[in-house]
Amino acid sequence: MRDVAIIGVGMIPFGRRDEDTLMDMLAYASLKALDDAGLGDKGVDAVYVANMGGGMLQHQSSIASSLVDRLSLLPAPADTVENGPASGASAIKNGLLAVASGYYDLVLVVGGEKMREVTGWRATDFVATMTHPQAEYPYGITLPGMAGMFTRLYMEKYGVTREHLLAVSLKNQEMGCLNPYAHVEMALDRKGIYDSPHAVVNNPISADPLHLYDLCPVSDGAAAVVLCPLEMAEKFNKHPVVISGFGQATDTHTLAEREDPTDLKAVTLAAEQAFAMAKLKPSNIDVAELHDAFTILEIAESEHVGFFKKGEGGKAVVAGKTRLGGQIPINLSGGLKARGHPVGATGVAQVVDIVWQLRHELPENRQVKNAKTGLTVNFGGFGNNVLCFILRRAQS
Amino acid sequence: MKEIAITAYKCKKCGKLHYPFHDRCLECKGREFEAVKPKGNATLLTYSAIYNLPWGFDQRYLILGVAEFENKVRAMGQIKVGSIDELKVGLKVKPSWEPVRVLNGEDVYGLKFEPIR
Repeated sequence: MRDVAIIGVGMIPFGRRDEDTLMDMLAYASLKALDDAGLGDKGVDAVYVANMGGGMLQHQSSIASSLVDRLSLLPAPADTVENGPASGASAIKNGLLAVASGYYDLVLVVGGEKMREVTGWRATDFVATMTHPQAEYPYGITLPGMAGMFTRLYMEKYGVTREHLLAVSLKNQEMGCLNPYAHVEMALDRKGIYDSPHAVVNNPISADPLHLYDLCPVSDGAAAVVLCPLEMAEKFNKHPVVISGFGQATDTHTLAEREDPTDLKAVTLAAEQAFAMAKLKPSNIDVAELHDAFTILEIAESEHVGFFKKGEGGKAVVAGKTRLGGQIPINLSGGLKARGHPVGATGVAQVVDIVWQLRHELPENRQVKNAKTGLTVNFGGFGNNVLCFILRRAQS
Repeated sequence: MKEIAITAYKCKKCGKLHYPFHDRCLECKGREFEAVKPKGNATLLTYSAIYNLPWGFDQRYLILGVAEFENKVRAMGQIKVGSIDELKVGLKVKPSWEPVRVLNGEDVYGLKFEPIR
């Protein structure tokens, strides 16, 4: 197997993009990544496109075929990858394996989603189609509802409090204000959403015990990366970043069938595989992008990947250990909470943000000094399909 | 009262109980199962009140939970209660089989739980 490098990245600002179609967004992000790599008019050997909802939301299928035509990348082989909110990381995995195996040299991976085209009512239903079609979906369960049930159990078992969840919201929305690609560029005021009588109105319960500001927004957006073998990476524009570790694991479809529903086994397994492949430990990671679709998930994932012991993740956020300059800075992009969560784009966007960190390209107020290693967790379903990547800055 | 129309599946090889159906046992990969009906009352394991409902639910909020029956079958259901404040983990609840939503003009039946007072 060959070492695989990321040689180009691109992202478009997430948010509500009424003026763009899904295909527009995928094309813009792809061109940015191809230009970042300095590919000019060259083609690529293959394209993987991550998208979850084109069929349901845009009434459009065969997204990858359409994109290669639009980008004049014909006759490059092209596949659409759908794996719920983990589609982005799954598409990168496909590209990684294709390059590592020696089958392809230059691969474009792009993820995108257009969710604001439909009402919130429809978007919530679209995301809920990930739940079990007989045992969960008919009851009206939503992903925030799953997260609410999970949070209640996590609070009972590990003593997580609303203060801990609030600290994640405040941190990530503060970081979102510094990220020009973020959907939500609005700092939160603790008093306004927690400590005053107005908080009940400003931050109502959304899925008890989770409140509005515990949830990520519904977003449009796209992000892309270009992969090639490490031995070829020097020929291109930017300092290469190596995918040094990768892991993926699955868990039961229904939360109710997990012996201990607070145990996110797929996160633990995916991270263990990635650390073993990279020959690193959690303490070796300089910066991480975790899948905080709900504030509780940033805390739970930080424990399950091994940054903190179980029950310590919430306290770590409050103590500032996950801020820039802390023990392990998490979600300096603002995370899903502020950058937004266009489901097919998220797993790719996380990798793009870590690449910027490892190339030392971010402004001082978001850049981890001399960052050499980064980790991502892309969480599909409610933890039933999880991917973890470990990236490292290539040696000069 | 309508019979609760869900079936759990007990692996004939290792005894592991499954709901919903799996083609192979999650524990031992066995392929033969004994059908098991949920029995008796249930204990609430977790719950949430959801205020942003999906398409098809024309109401302000919905209270949902996961409960474990006396014979250990675990399932999700809607909870019939005035306020979420009346609930706590470990509460004994009585199951029933009732309409849980309307799809294409037809009632869809499912589990509902009500606290035993």
